[in-house]
Amino acid sequence: MRGTSNSFVVANTNKCIGCKVCEVVCFAVHNKNNQVVATVGTVVTPIIPRLYLVKGETLTMPIQCRHCEDAPCANSCIIGAIKQEDNTIVIDENACIGCKTCLLACPFGAIDLLPKFEDGEAVIQANLKEEGEYGLDDKVKTVAYKCDLCKEHGKPACVAVCPQKALTLVAPAEEKKRRNRQAALSLLAALK
Amino acid sequence: MTSTDNLINIDSELCTGCRRCAEVCPVNAIEGEQGTPQIIDAERCVLCGQCVQICSVYASAFDENLTPREIKLKERRMLKSVREPLFAAYNVGHAQQVKEALAFSELYKIVQCAPAVRVSLAEEFGFPYGTLTPGKMAASLRRLGFDRVYDTNFGADLTIMEEGSELIKRVSEGKNLPMFTSCCPAWVKYVEQEYPELLHHLSSCKSPAQMSGVIFKTYGAKIDAIDPAKILSASIMPCTCKQFECDREEMADSGYKDVDVVLTTRELAQLIKERGIDFANLPDEEFDLPLGNYSGAGAIFGTSGGVMEAALRTGYELITKKPVPSIELNFVRGGEDIRTAVVQVGELELRVAVVSGLKNVAKVLEDVKAGRCQFHFIEVMTCPGGCINGGGQPKFLLPEYREEANRSRKASIYKHDSNLKIRKSHENPDIKKLYEEFLGEPLGHQSHHLLHTKYVSRKALN
Repeated sequence: MRGTSNSFVVANTNKCIGCKVCEVVCFAVHNKNNQVVATVGTVVTPIIPRLYLVKGETLTMPIQCRHCEDAPCANSCIIGAIKQEDNTIVIDENACIGCKTCLLACPFGAIDLLPKFEDGEAVIQANLKEEGEYGLDDKVKTVAYKCDLCKEHGKPACVAVCPQKALTLVAPAEEKKRRNRQAALSLLAALK
Repeated sequence: MTSTDNLINIDSELCTGCRRCAEVCPVNAIEGEQGTPQIIDAERCVLCGQCVQICSVYASAFDENLTPREIKLKERRMLKSVREPLFAAYNVGHAQQVKEALAFSELYKIVQCAPAVRVSLAEEFGFPYGTLTPGKMAASLRRLGFDRVYDTNFGADLTIMEEGSELIKRVSEGKNLPMFTSCCPAWVKYVEQEYPELLHHLSSCKSPAQMSGVIFKTYGAKIDAIDPAKILSASIMPCTCKQFECDREEMADSGYKDVDVVLTTRELAQLIKERGIDFANLPDEEFDLPLGNYSGAGAIFGTSGGVMEAALRTGYELITKKPVPSIELNFVRGGEDIRTAVVQVGELELRVAVVSGLKNVAKVLEDVKAGRCQFHFIEVMTCPGGCINGGGQPKFLLPEYREEANRSRKASIYKHDSNLKIRKSHENPDIKKLYEEFLGEPLGHQSHHLLHTKYVSRKALN
């Protein structure tokens, strides 16, 4: 039995300005296999981020995966493509069949079903075709995407890049202890 | 509101009102409340494109509520083959126009590239920051169908000849000092808009690109025995303001529009990709002579302090009749907001300044207005760091990439200069030949007619 909770990234809506740099960098670090290097000119696929800016009249902030301890997405995935690896809930994009159960299960809407790209091109399905204007067209493979805490890249890129420092990587156990200490200290100050 | 007349616009359908663009705009031309779509005031905008470089709000390919991509591409006059994401702040392009002209065999197509292009073009093909590829750049332009691959760096050498002589004249007469450089069109537009009473301080020299353009359609036409009416003069620039510059009425001293059309570095890369040219594996090719031959001094124009250094390398010798003691003038190689120096040129204590970033020029201009300015010669670049950081340069996915990239581009430019045999504009043999055969002498009648220009007040009437 493991002790530590999963970390997750959360946004502070009071700081977020809605610039979407987080979305762009998320895509950039996850798409080196799609020819993305440093410039916009090297991007040949649509931008697919794993966090999603919500912009309303009174609210601006990105929403992303909470790496739930009792992840409903993992518990509902029919083919077991979603697992906990170290302290992260991860989707195996190669096993995913695009059934959308996880998309329905997630109360945050943190999962999106979008096309899969490899080497700059959309991955085509083996046999499934769709009806087009002039006959049968190839159908692009669709898989589930969500925040993976930049597992393969080190620290979450979105947190580092936000110009307003609106994103934080929360380590729940540490955060709880910090708040306990702070609460105790302020009680002490009040009693003096 | 998207005015198609202004070369730079903000797509109100995409803009989230984060105002990062407004933060970098040196003239506060971007208006709107935080959180709502922003609008560019075309009267204030100097077309520097820094907003285009920083904007990170992109059109999601999966948002069905958005205007379809094909329509946006058309609005922005981008090639249909472009696959990169579209952002809210954008500059209107001319790649389609050039593509059509390239197919028109009746035209004699001449192209020139700015000094900054050759240290950044390769980044669009995945090369490391600042990779120097003049050879591949020339090779790709030939494969695109240009008849003559000349170079803006030649024009830069020409600018030094004229501007160096002009500076000497002003210093000896003690008139119209300080003199400001005039090669940055956004800076020129700024003076015209905000300080027209100081226009006489600007050098009357055209920019290197415009000087090259007028020479292509006169001397260039002569030596190739071509009817100048058939010349398409294109330029590849790191700058979103150069199109505005070439569209200026007075930029037609050849009798024709001296530079017909401008492409940004990004657009050139898009054209190369559309044509299926394998940039990475191109052989290195040379520029065409004589108007593609350049010195190291011409090459360093692309970075802040470069114009100043190039001018000093020649100016020093013109005044003292002796070569400058050290070719590399590190004291002007800066990048900070304002760099100043005092250069002993024979008996003269020449006081110079280099302004990097238009935001930093207002206090200098106020000093000039108040009669407090002690400088003789001031280089001004709108884009922080110079043209290598221009609005038309390859745009970075992460803000931190940009800083590193500009350091590399700058280093690459100085390295290129240090590897060239000829490093002073006045030693460029094809420059000498141009004066002997065609122009006569700097500031002479022919030079004055072709290579110098006038400015116009654009001050908003209250």
